[in-house]
Amino acid sequence: MADPDRPPAKDTPPDAGGAPATAPAEAPAVPVVAERGAPPPPTGLLGFLVRHQAIVVPILAVVLAFAIGAILIRAQGFNPTYAYQRLFQRSFLTEGGLLATLQKTTPLILVGLAVAIPLKVGLFNIGGQGQLMAGGIGAAWIAHSLRDLPVPVLVIVSVIAGLLFGAMWASIAALLKTTRGVHEVISTIMLNSIAVGLIDWLINGGPLADTSQVFPTTHAVREDARLLPLGVLPWGLPVALILAVLVAWMLKRTTLGFELQTVGRNRFAAGYAGISTTKATIIAMATSGALAGLAGTLELLQIEPYRYQSGIAGSLGFDGITIALLARGNPLGTIPAAILVGAMRAGAPSLQFELGIRPEVVDVLLAITLLMVSLPVIAKWIFRRHTAKQTQLAGSWGA
Amino acid sequence: MKAKPFLVAAPAALALVLAGCGGSTGDTSSDGSSAAPKDCSSADVFCIGLVTDKGTIDDKSFNQAAWEGVKALEGEGVQTKYIETKDSKDYPANIKQFTDQKYDSIVTVGFLMGEATVTAAKANPTVKFIGVDQFQDAAKTAPNVTGLIFPEANAGYAAGYLAGLMTKTSKIGIVLGEEIPPTQMYAKGYELGSKAANPKISVAKVYHPAGPNAFSDSPWGAGEAKKMLAQGADIIFGAGGGTGNGALGEVAKSSGAGTSLFCIGVDVDQWETVPEAHPCLVTSAEKKLVDGTTELLKQAKDGSIKGGNFLGKTGLSEYHDFDSKIPADVKTKVEDVIKKLEDGSLKVA
Amino acid sequence: MEWFLRNKVWATTALLVLVAAYAFYFVNSNIAVSMFSYAWFLAVPLVLGAMVGVIGERSGVVNIGIEGQMLVGAFAAFFAAAATQSVIIGVIAGALSGIAMGAFLAFTTVKGQLDQIIAGVVINIVATGITSFYYESGKTIPRGLPNFDVPLLSKIPLIGPVFFSDGPIALFALVIALVLHVLLFKTRWGLRTRAVGEYPSAADTAGINVVGLRLFNVTVAGTLAGIAGTYLSMEATSTFERDMSAGRGFLALAILIFGAWRPMRALAAALFFGFMSASASQLQASNVVDIPQQFINLLPYVLTLVVLAAAAGRVRAPGAVGQPFVKGD
Repeated sequence: MADPDRPPAKDTPPDAGGAPATAPAEAPAVPVVAERGAPPPPTGLLGFLVRHQAIVVPILAVVLAFAIGAILIRAQGFNPTYAYQRLFQRSFLTEGGLLATLQKTTPLILVGLAVAIPLKVGLFNIGGQGQLMAGGIGAAWIAHSLRDLPVPVLVIVSVIAGLLFGAMWASIAALLKTTRGVHEVISTIMLNSIAVGLIDWLINGGPLADTSQVFPTTHAVREDARLLPLGVLPWGLPVALILAVLVAWMLKRTTLGFELQTVGRNRFAAGYAGISTTKATIIAMATSGALAGLAGTLELLQIEPYRYQSGIAGSLGFDGITIALLARGNPLGTIPAAILVGAMRAGAPSLQFELGIRPEVVDVLLAITLLMVSLPVIAKWIFRRHTAKQTQLAGSWGA
Repeated sequence: MKAKPFLVAAPAALALVLAGCGGSTGDTSSDGSSAAPKDCSSADVFCIGLVTDKGTIDDKSFNQAAWEGVKALEGEGVQTKYIETKDSKDYPANIKQFTDQKYDSIVTVGFLMGEATVTAAKANPTVKFIGVDQFQDAAKTAPNVTGLIFPEANAGYAAGYLAGLMTKTSKIGIVLGEEIPPTQMYAKGYELGSKAANPKISVAKVYHPAGPNAFSDSPWGAGEAKKMLAQGADIIFGAGGGTGNGALGEVAKSSGAGTSLFCIGVDVDQWETVPEAHPCLVTSAEKKLVDGTTELLKQAKDGSIKGGNFLGKTGLSEYHDFDSKIPADVKTKVEDVIKKLEDGSLKVA
Repeated sequence: MEWFLRNKVWATTALLVLVAAYAFYFVNSNIAVSMFSYAWFLAVPLVLGAMVGVIGERSGVVNIGIEGQMLVGAFAAFFAAAATQSVIIGVIAGALSGIAMGAFLAFTTVKGQLDQIIAGVVINIVATGITSFYYESGKTIPRGLPNFDVPLLSKIPLIGPVFFSDGPIALFALVIALVLHVLLFKTRWGLRTRAVGEYPSAADTAGINVVGLRLFNVTVAGTLAGIAGTYLSMEATSTFERDMSAGRGFLALAILIFGAWRPMRALAAALFFGFMSASASQLQASNVVDIPQQFINLLPYVLTLVVLAAAAGRVRAPGAVGQPFVKGD
């Protein structure tokens, strides 16, 4: 265990790649790192842009991506300006659309965090899907079997069950890694399939099935325990936002966060410093599993039909990877990333409804965005030698 | 590493030019089914919307068939439109797109949408909802919802009966998608039907592991069919979307296809939708989805539609090229069984 | 003999498996052949996919886009064959699309220094998007790739009908695993590739063109992914379904790690996984045990974990995997 008196957050923030931070006080989350031998930071407008490039680059990248997407839409014989207008009008300016956007944003933030945290420790959690499902089914089980509890208590225990089940499912992978050396990529892929199979049995005529329904499903959450949205605001959204901030704070300002990041940067150095890799692995995976489990729980408690059925997880587990990457592994970055993806997904049906564009166009748009956000070329083009160095997330693979 | 501005600049510039030269409105575009959007709130226009199950409109199966059923009504004063669902949590929102536009009748496809359909129906009591493959529980449903359901077990029974009469090895197989009520019913009917025709028969039955790919995994279906054929089965029933189609394709490729090895399709007449299965496809265990949807929509249009459940027809499709190869007595026996299933004198337990 | 002593565990296991397989064969040849054939039938795309991963990761480039590369390969092969009614053109299109996807991964990550995992995810999303977007129903190809018997080899009991009576891509997968093993461990290319993947700066100092070799390897590996996709749409079936890769690219990743980044072990791992699936299928189809199919179908996944946990011992990825190489960095 590390020296408890260690100054926790004097170290550079995660994105900084180890060089001294020269970030201005108003934007501590967005460090600008001068490469060795780089010229002094420029001043004026360029200086402002350089200092904020962690924000400027993604915005520019999104604009570029949409411009390229416009070609695709035009090639299909549709008017891209009108399409984008409909897409975002629907997802932000209509009541139902905004609710859908926020409802989709909520789990996306959580699964994004579930991938981002292990990345900091050098683990690639491809098992968000299974963890989300485990959390969802755990919450569904508790919400039904303890349905006679008073409503607030019921909601709280269901949420706790979801957190625990998700954490438990992820911990299997963590324990296999720490005790038996099983690579987390294999174990989480296998655990995803195992979760699907086990849960299918549970809800398809098994012990958790609602047999009054003809299709495989659990019992619905009792009506007064459902988290109905407050206007356009789903209950889970503030929770997810707070958790994103908490995770960012934990990673940056606490001893635990420092330990996790040290393990991620160099596990041998961490070992010398007395930081336990085993502990870091288990904590990171359990936390991320709990977050994914919470996402599953919220999908159960706040989304129609308030049952656990096979479609509940959708592609959320893999979306988590997309979100974490869009955010470059930064916990706070998952918020705008999730909003963007959520809005695009929420608006896609109306693209088809009003223009007849196939909804897959949104996926392609998303992929281009991810590419543009991540291509170092864009930043280098604008900022040349002032470009901040990006961390390589893929570096965690070989661990 | 040198930055290559043109890498991004060129496509971006091109994109802006292309985007800029577009017209000012997008109203010229449509999904091909409606020339100009009509006002659905007007009494002169009957608007029909369709929301697909998680899947696509050209899935060679029930989404496509239901949509064909909708399109059969196209003509003067009718407007049709569909939305494909990408995420099952979007069902309510997708239905709402149509109710917001005051559509007169909305077809929702697949049992997973059952609850969302009833919820939407209660909120829009004047809209006629048709739920394909949705059993509507009298206690929970709304009066303006009609569930179009099919006795899949009967279709499976007829297919199994035919297989039981035709098999030379007394071994047949069935390759299914995920284990859900329709596939379970097909399997049950198939087993019972084949045993009724041939008590000695053994039926190899496999379900695809649950998961998002359970109905699109054609290589898996092909592998299962290959194994069943190797173990002596000579007739294979592929009942599970793309997964089942994989099985049909495998039988069609095997030597002996059409002479000693046969396959049976599912849901729609797969002679039309899975051409690669022609060498072995004797028939398909069909739910008359197109007819059922059209029938209910006609009733919805003239106002005679009733709530509750509407039992669609099932049966076997035409034999197509195999018409001459199937012995006449087999055909007669199968027809007889289908009649008995239809009039209820034969019940699949 | 020396080889045997160095690979005691592996050689003994392989021998035991072979003996068990033949014992099974003599008990019931029909069931044994059909189960092993099924195992190989399902293993082929996993083997090819794992080889894509082996080449990439041995050169220091993670490829989690195998799934997408496969899907695009299946799509390109099928629709090219459908448009031209020529199977050969289909195969070529499948391979070429693989090269294109491989080149995309290579140039964005090696030249453009895009994060490798991001590049892979981009490939996966784009692949699902475009294969769905441009999909057209009702297309057919004349006939998929035919099965044929390899002279002599196909006459060997059990092994013959399982490995030497299939289509050309299945045979290719078997050969490529053997060839890749030799290339990787016995040739200059292999030595250089491994050096570039383990310790690129040292390789650079030794005069190896790190960037060039990575570009070449990752691009060529893409071809294999394209061929794996071609297998799905033109050999295993003669149809294209949306999402027909059905997670096989991710399974291939697992197989790659299961096989400790070695071609032959990956082949063995894929066969193991295939055989577990065959056992699950056999148990389900023959209806001899009264267990819900959901449990039976978990067999391959659970046993893979059990075997990995039992074998213990950390397998190590190539040292520089995931790291971009910048000369003089």
